Amino acid sequence: MTEAEAREALRAWIREHNPDVPAGEPADGTRLIERRYLTSLQVADLLLYIEELRQAPVDPTRLKPGVFASIDDIYGAFF
Amino acid sequence: MDALADTVRKLSASSRRGYQNPYEAIEWPETLNREQWFTSPELISLYGTQWWDELSDAGRKLLSFWEAVNFYSLNIAGERFLMEGIAHRLYRPGWEDVAEYLHHFLDEENKHSVWFGTFCQRYAGKVYPDRKVAFPREFADGEEDFLFFAEVSVFEEIVDRYNVTMARDERLVSVARRINDNHHTEETRHLVFGRRIVAELWRQWVDRWPPEVVEGIRAHIAGFVTATWRDYYNPDAYRDAGLADPYAVARGAWDATAAHRDGVTRRALRPLVSAGVLP
Repeated sequence: MTEAEAREALRAWIREHNPDVPAGEPADGTRLIERRYLTSLQVADLLLYIEELRQAPVDPTRLKPGVFASIDDIYGAFF
Repeated sequence: MDALADTVRKLSASSRRGYQNPYEAIEWPETLNREQWFTSPELISLYGTQWWDELSDAGRKLLSFWEAVNFYSLNIAGERFLMEGIAHRLYRPGWEDVAEYLHHFLDEENKHSVWFGTFCQRYAGKVYPDRKVAFPREFADGEEDFLFFAEVSVFEEIVDRYNVTMARDERLVSVARRINDNHHTEETRHLVFGRRIVAELWRQWVDRWPPEVVEGIRAHIAGFVTATWRDYYNPDAYRDAGLADPYAVARGAWDATAAHRDGVTRRALRPLVSAGVLP
């Protein structure tokens, strides 16, 4: 999976879980938590999706709120 | 809190009568043959799916072992959240009347984690990691306490359905039955406390919260139910049981077993419906 494909897959996941997201959102730098596009209760689900994209488990010691702040942060932490 | 005082006294007396040494309550075999049932087949997350049909009898029993490790691991994670929250509320102003029982609650949850952790470490060599992350957020007055106890109540009501079934299931290896039976015995008191305190906090606060807070609480509970169930479909357990493409299995099993979750969830949410929290 290329970087562009991974970022698009993450954006698609956010849109799927937030049907009211405006067109063009989320951008790579959109603040996902502040905008409530991503909540604590959705993180485990997103992580499973990330693991499936990577085809490898995520190191649980990396699980801190900051790594989910934006698509940029998620990509940087997990891919 | 006055309405809770009598319940707290009775539950505390019951906890003292049933006090257990966690290191003597369960006999731990040196090793366990994994070709036995550790989880009731009907409660295994793949039961009734194409992946279940494709497994041999030995494969199903091996999966039942890893599902037990997952069930105990998600209990350890839930109890860690619970113990942190209970400790945070011990002797807080306004909560003095329930402090006596909060001590028992903490003590008993710690024991449960000893049992779950002992099984996982001794027989699997690991506890599955928790994938939850808490983001900081703002709460209305009273909302954080209410959501904490509502989450605890939902989590424990679901777990208890599994404990009750597996404590009675004579197909299960003895140590698995004992863990589920002991957990259920003490959780019975926690469930009573959880139902009472959730109803009491709702009664105290609901008329003071604006409609958007009430709506947010209901949406949060719905999200918590989904997040709780997700933990029961753990790709790590499928991988350890030898299943190929464990993430696809987790997704497929989730889609295929909605009826099972709905049945357990309906029952688990009854106390919240009775209290008027959920319609």
